[in-house]
Amino acid sequence: MLNLKLYDSDVRPDWCPGCGDFGVLAALKNALATLELPPDRVQISSGIGCSSNLPGYIKTYGHHGLHGRPLPIAIGIKIANPNLVVIVTAGDGDEYGIGFNHVVHAARRNHDVKLIVMNNEIYGLTTGQLSPTSKSGQRTKTSPDGSIIYPLNPLSTLLGAGATFIARGFSGDPKQLSMLIQEAIKHRGFALVDAISPCVTWHDIYDEVRRKMYKLEDVKHDPSDAVAAYHRMNESEKIGLGIYYRTEERPSFEELMHSEITSSIPAENVKNLTKDQIAQALAQFQ
Amino acid sequence: MQNEYNGNQDVTVRLGAAAGDGIQSAGEILMKIFSRSGLYVSTYNGNQSLIRGGHVWFHIHAGETRVYSLGYGIDHLVALTQLAYDEHFSSVNQGGAIIYDPSAVKQHDFPAGVKKIEAPLTKMALNHDKRPIMKNTVAIGLLGGLMGLDFGLIGRVIGEQFARKPDVQKSNVEAAKEGYEYAEQFGITKRLRYDYGTKRTFMHADYALALGAVAAGCRFYAAYPMSPASPIVHWMTANAKKFGIRVFLGEDEIAVVNSTIGASFAGARAMCATSGGGFSLMQEAIGQAAMTETPLVVVDVMRAGPSTGLPTKTSQGDLNMVLGISHDDFPRAIIAPKSPEDAFYTAGRAFNLAEKYQLPVIVLLDFAIGDGGYATVENLNFDFAIERGKIVREATQDMHNGVWFRRYMLTEDGVSPRALPGTPGLMYVAKTDEHDEWGHDLSDVLAGLKEAVNMREKQHEKRMRKMEYLAKEMRLPEVFGPEKADLTLVSWGSSALPIREALPKLWDKGLRVNSLEFTDVYPLRADVRSLLMEAHDLMDIEVNYTAQFAKLLRREFGVFIEKSYLKYDGEPIYPAEVVKHVEDTLQGKEVKQLA
Repeated sequence: MLNLKLYDSDVRPDWCPGCGDFGVLAALKNALATLELPPDRVQISSGIGCSSNLPGYIKTYGHHGLHGRPLPIAIGIKIANPNLVVIVTAGDGDEYGIGFNHVVHAARRNHDVKLIVMNNEIYGLTTGQLSPTSKSGQRTKTSPDGSIIYPLNPLSTLLGAGATFIARGFSGDPKQLSMLIQEAIKHRGFALVDAISPCVTWHDIYDEVRRKMYKLEDVKHDPSDAVAAYHRMNESEKIGLGIYYRTEERPSFEELMHSEITSSIPAENVKNLTKDQIAQALAQFQ
Repeated sequence: MQNEYNGNQDVTVRLGAAAGDGIQSAGEILMKIFSRSGLYVSTYNGNQSLIRGGHVWFHIHAGETRVYSLGYGIDHLVALTQLAYDEHFSSVNQGGAIIYDPSAVKQHDFPAGVKKIEAPLTKMALNHDKRPIMKNTVAIGLLGGLMGLDFGLIGRVIGEQFARKPDVQKSNVEAAKEGYEYAEQFGITKRLRYDYGTKRTFMHADYALALGAVAAGCRFYAAYPMSPASPIVHWMTANAKKFGIRVFLGEDEIAVVNSTIGASFAGARAMCATSGGGFSLMQEAIGQAAMTETPLVVVDVMRAGPSTGLPTKTSQGDLNMVLGISHDDFPRAIIAPKSPEDAFYTAGRAFNLAEKYQLPVIVLLDFAIGDGGYATVENLNFDFAIERGKIVREATQDMHNGVWFRRYMLTEDGVSPRALPGTPGLMYVAKTDEHDEWGHDLSDVLAGLKEAVNMREKQHEKRMRKMEYLAKEMRLPEVFGPEKADLTLVSWGSSALPIREALPKLWDKGLRVNSLEFTDVYPLRADVRSLLMEAHDLMDIEVNYTAQFAKLLRREFGVFIEKSYLKYDGEPIYPAEVVKHVEDTLQGKEVKQLA
């Protein structure tokens, strides 16, 4: 295990005291240190929102980009330089709302990118509006009488989309969350870790989560059983924490691409063409 | 009819049919035959946004010396459908010929002075195989005969075209032979000086740009299919294994441009291309690249809009969009190559500028030279310099504050050293929020504090300062024609080509006209102003409604170009239109006032 201090930033998080994101940050640092991944080998992309400020609070390479777009940024990075461990950290607005299209397709294509969604069921930084995972009946600034909208279930939706690793953790249990992140990083391909990360200011669900939560491993859930996973993902009165689904039967996008195209990776192959390649190219146009 | 050779000559051929008749393939075969006969070509693909039916045509201008545009009128029209005859017969030149199959086409109002060549194309095709589509190949053979081309070459090119379909290869060559022999009874309609020892290379600008990009080290390409930019992704995927190109097919243009930015951030030379609609979706991310100072090359192959507009028709209407991409001010470069050859070199320049100045470079092509038009390219130089700008490969003490790399260091030229992820000791966060030199956000806990206000101003100025240095690297327009002229035509991008073909006609008429061919559209060099001021009189020629480039010149230099020829019907500018408009204007017949 590497020293956790290796990842220390010089910035204190601007999150509210008690914010779930502190637990996610701690779990992520712990996971990287445990896996002995030095800061220069790790690339974390984020979007916009409280949780997306995370890359500034952990010393690795980072890309703090547009709202909803950290996944395609990460995919480009991973294709260009597969030697990097590429992680996305963002909120439910970013990943389950504006950028969900990218999540579905990243899962389907099985990009070797790890997606950690800090899910608080609310838009926090914009001061408390309905998010895609807000529950029916939830009162927010944009649903003063309680939401009439059915929430998105990201886990079962991604199971349907062909995701190969789906887990859920809780910021209140950073130890388990760290383990889930480690498993996600070790997984060959796309991994979703939905991290329940309560917003103490706009939608405090600590008590609710603690009341409903249980560990999937305690009930001997088999992560290779997609049907069982589907049922557990759709429990409304209980919240299972752990790995819901995992399969390594499908190779990752990058494995497939790099086995087809064997020349050096794009980040290292910024070169003119060889004489032979030029001749091959021109022959197509004569 | 010209049976004897008499000096430098050119020829225009138009093949007209329905979509699905294989007219594009036939046009490409003919273009290949011309190119292997030592001729120069320039073509236009009059296609429609459908797969079957409708009306499509393929126009070829070929010449013994360099041809730039589509020539004048039609010397040989091959009309495979009634619509093809109806649409094009009136454009056939005196001394030209119309080739048609009377079983499919009823001729009417046959133009005087044009040779009528009735040929049972379908019947001849069916003599060789039960494939009426081979009427194309018969027509190619027939044209070859009329133009006195060597059948050995014609057969070879057709054979190559069908190399992957051996079952129809032989029958196609035989069908062409029958067409060739059928032509004998009509004699030679037009014979050029053929040089079978010279193989000329042809590309359209989409292909040329793709090739230029890869030759400049681009190994990451992302796309979502959109006409007329799709040939770029077709070429990249077809050549991916050969050249080590990783192609990413995004779920939308937003994923496409962001993945391109990601790849570039990681150190690859990465590019993506689209047309106007896709570009509209990409805009927010282009602003992001400018803010994070990530090099980015984006290509917009313009088609007629707005909105989905005319997918297979041309326009130069996206200039205002790329001048005003996304919100607030940020530095950018805009280059609009005028020809496929120019597009090849532009790709390499775009990467060099993007990396040296760490900003977005937009390359504007259009359908007329993109998917729509092949042209001869000559003597391509593949050894151009790859200039990657300030990339730091090793950390030293002064580069970081103990935690973060000083990625956004304030510098004289506005460009800060960049480190690629994976480099030990130079970690940083690329920031789309306003930030200080070490990439700390100025957007949250510091926002509005004196120090942050001051740093915001400095960072914004630093980014914008790149434009001053970039402008010095931009090129002046090429002057085509005499240095002094009574009228100077101003164009940008591909509009230079029909003007090049129009000017000699105007000179023949004793008119002193020249042309300024802008390719480096933004930022403009300061000395462009004097070029414009020194001109005796100016006329703006471009393919959009509002004279977008002329308005840019007015905005940048206060120069108001009163005369203009603006086209926005979806078709490319033809040289004859330039000739007529310049003549009319100089004779005072028509002066279009700009709003």
